[in-house]
Amino acid sequence: MSEMNKENILEVRHIHKRFTSKGITVKAVTDVSFNVKPGETIGIVGESGCGKTTLGRCIVRAYEASEGEVWYRTEAGEEVDFLKVDNKKMKSIRKEIQMIFQDPYSSLDPRMTVLDIIKEPLKANYPEMSKDEMDQRAKEMAVKVGLNPMYLMRYPHAFSGGQRQRIGIARALVVRPQIIVCDEAVSALDVSIQAQVINLLRDLQKEFGLTYLFISHDLSVVEHISDKVGVMYLGQMVEFCETEKLYSKPMHPYTEALLSAVPVADSTFKMERIPLQGEIPNPANPPSGCFFHERCRYCTGRCITDAPTLKQMPDGRLCACHRAEELDLHGFDLEAMAKAAEK
Amino acid sequence: MDKDNILEVKDLRVNIHMMEGELTAVRGVNFEIKKGETLGLVGESGCGKSLTCKAILAINDKKCEAKGSIKFNSDESGEVEILDLNPKGEEIRSIRGKQISMIFQEPMVAFSPMYTIGNQINECTRLHITKDKKKSKEISMAVMKKVGIANVEKRYNQYPHEFSGGMLQRALIAMALVCNPKMLIADEPTTALDVTIQAQILELMKSLQKDFNTAILFITHDLGVVAKMCDRVAVMYLGKIVESADTETIYANPQHPYTKGLIGSVHKIGGNREDRLFSIEGTVPLAMNLPVQCGFYDRCTVAIDGLCNKAEPELVEIEPGHKVACFACNHEGCKAECERARKEIAEREERERKEAELAAQEAALGKNKKKLFGRRA
Ligand SMILES: Nc1ncnc2c1ncn2[C@@H]1O[C@H](COP(=O)(O)OP(=O)(O)OP(=O)(O)O)[C@@H](O)[C@H]1O
Ligand SMILES: Nc1ncnc2c1ncn2[C@@H]1O[C@H](COP(=O)(O)OP(=O)(O)O)[C@@H](O)[C@H]1O
Ligand code: SF4
Ligand code: SF4
Ligand SMILES: [Mg+2]
Ligand SMILES: [Mg+2]
Repeated sequence: MSEMNKENILEVRHIHKRFTSKGITVKAVTDVSFNVKPGETIGIVGESGCGKTTLGRCIVRAYEASEGEVWYRTEAGEEVDFLKVDNKKMKSIRKEIQMIFQDPYSSLDPRMTVLDIIKEPLKANYPEMSKDEMDQRAKEMAVKVGLNPMYLMRYPHAFSGGQRQRIGIARALVVRPQIIVCDEAVSALDVSIQAQVINLLRDLQKEFGLTYLFISHDLSVVEHISDKVGVMYLGQMVEFCETEKLYSKPMHPYTEALLSAVPVADSTFKMERIPLQGEIPNPANPPSGCFFHERCRYCTGRCITDAPTLKQMPDGRLCACHRAEELDLHGFDLEAMAKAAEK
Repeated sequence: MDKDNILEVKDLRVNIHMMEGELTAVRGVNFEIKKGETLGLVGESGCGKSLTCKAILAINDKKCEAKGSIKFNSDESGEVEILDLNPKGEEIRSIRGKQISMIFQEPMVAFSPMYTIGNQINECTRLHITKDKKKSKEISMAVMKKVGIANVEKRYNQYPHEFSGGMLQRALIAMALVCNPKMLIADEPTTALDVTIQAQILELMKSLQKDFNTAILFITHDLGVVAKMCDRVAVMYLGKIVESADTETIYANPQHPYTKGLIGSVHKIGGNREDRLFSIEGTVPLAMNLPVQCGFYDRCTVAIDGLCNKAEPELVEIEPGHKVACFACNHEGCKAECERARKEIAEREERERKEAELAAQEAALGKNKKKLFGRRA
């Protein structure tokens, strides 16, 4: 397989990631596929441990995927399988896909000054660049993300969570990537600081035409920032479609349950919560058939034995449920909520 | 103390003695909680929420000093001033864990890894309810069932590491509820959990509250959770409560610029996705050597110069049950507060002017003296 669709910048195809330790194999990611257009923001949601981070890391090649391909259209217009390009090629295109990590407290080296931290990717990707130019570019980027250039000689511990996240963003952006994988980039921050960082990510997206994969367990933030959303459960992508469609009319029972659990910051809002039975199964020993069947209130005999695959639905979305088309599931009444939000 | 209230906190201050100086982390907090009510305490990281809770249980560490008044009132112990009690004494121990219990943010920390979950819950039961071994185990197990732990016979003998985060949080709630406390302090009890489990735990807390008429002090920075859980909300900023009202009012009619900012920062599902989120620029200052001014002044977009940077607003009741501490709030009570502050500023400036004059005179006198002495010498 090759040949990307002309419209896409990224095509994730059948990614699997297995971790084996002490003879036990955990399927952290199972057969995940989706396409991304340039300039889009794709939200990836799901409960802790469902494989979001692992998927992100496989895509940027921080982990080696066990199986699968990540087709990528380079800045120069070439189509490559990002996971299989040789070292020489990788050197020249690695910088085009960057990742911002989950924890602003541990992802920055405490012994390096902020300037050095931001410069590091430049050193790695542009060995021929002069020191002055590196300093120049790092400083420019620091200002872009709202860091005071006076502070660049300080060490990370002297910065607040929001500022550290800005440092992480500056470091990812300094090499002018095309795609950024943001792993829980705002989750550790207070809401008011979250808003600062989200606005910043959006401004930068407009300015540089960036494409984002935005991994988060916060469904409100994801609704705000994403054009499309993928829902993961136990290592699998169970639904993938445009944000409005997903939130207003989910087709997968897990998506429906997830949406019904979101706490909404409006004291007049009431929605019936769909309780999920039991706990998330152990990914080392997933259930038979549909991975969700033990907790699904729409489960039928077939679900216990046959595993559903991610299929295209009549409205174009992807969904992995045998009963997707016959069920009539509930999401948010977005229109009513928009009216309420306006007030 | 009002007999409907279970807790009254008045002018609570917590100072922390640090190498660099004294940190006033809680700077005069006032609130009360009615029996059976849920009060939400919200605010950014570091604003003093946890220290306030710890003061109520008298479990702050040695570096911290709490002043003011915390009155607790129950049928069992009558009216008690917690700050007067010996933090290691008999009396506080009969309140802590029995009448007021606490759920922490990190369930892993609350349990010892060395003992089984059942053992640890049972210890509470035996300490506070019955010494009878068989009875106490029965009670402990019943509570575990009640919080939705399936397979209790097996779970009772398991260790904390064998529980998932959500299950452990349930066990912690079971431990907190086993003696039917009159009041529960929940410090970010669901922040570390996924939304699905969070929803289960919140519903569980609500239904248990109904059964036992427990009052809850609910600490969180998640405004969605507040909307779901709380009857009233107190918004805290830089060690002070800047606004408090019933939950609906806080969302529908917030008055303090910080409250407005907090609510505006949260994207509402269904809201216009093209809009930028409202954001409060800057960060919380460190509560050390604070100047006399509104704590929010540096970040406030509607600050009144000459007033907000020279005096600190007090909490004023603007509608029954709705209090706010802001000079820019357009309400009679706040206008009176402005007047008070202007007077205070004028008096202070007058005093300072006089002092400066006096100092200048003295300095001149000193010089003269010197001259005199000089001449004499
Ligand atoms: N034991 C301590 N020693 C020194 N400083 C402390 C101590 N405990 C708290 N502080 C400081 O006191 C202030 C208030 O802390 P507190 O833990 O009450 O905040 P919080 O509102 O609970 O924040 P969060 O939302 O992050 O839990 C912070 O500046 C904090 O760094
Ligand atoms: N380095 C690793 N070694 C073994 N198992 C791992 C490793 N990283 C992740 N896992 C497992 O893979 C699954 C998915 O993890 P992760 O991608 O971190 O989830 P998420 O980011 O959605 O919370 C989990 O069961 C986790 O325990
Ligand atoms: S395939 Fe069956 S068990 Fe799985 S989500 Fe659909 S209805 Fe539920
Ligand atoms: S008192 Fe002044 S500075 Fe403080 S919140 Fe009100 S307007 Fe802003
Ligand atoms: Mg993760
Ligand atoms: Mg805290």
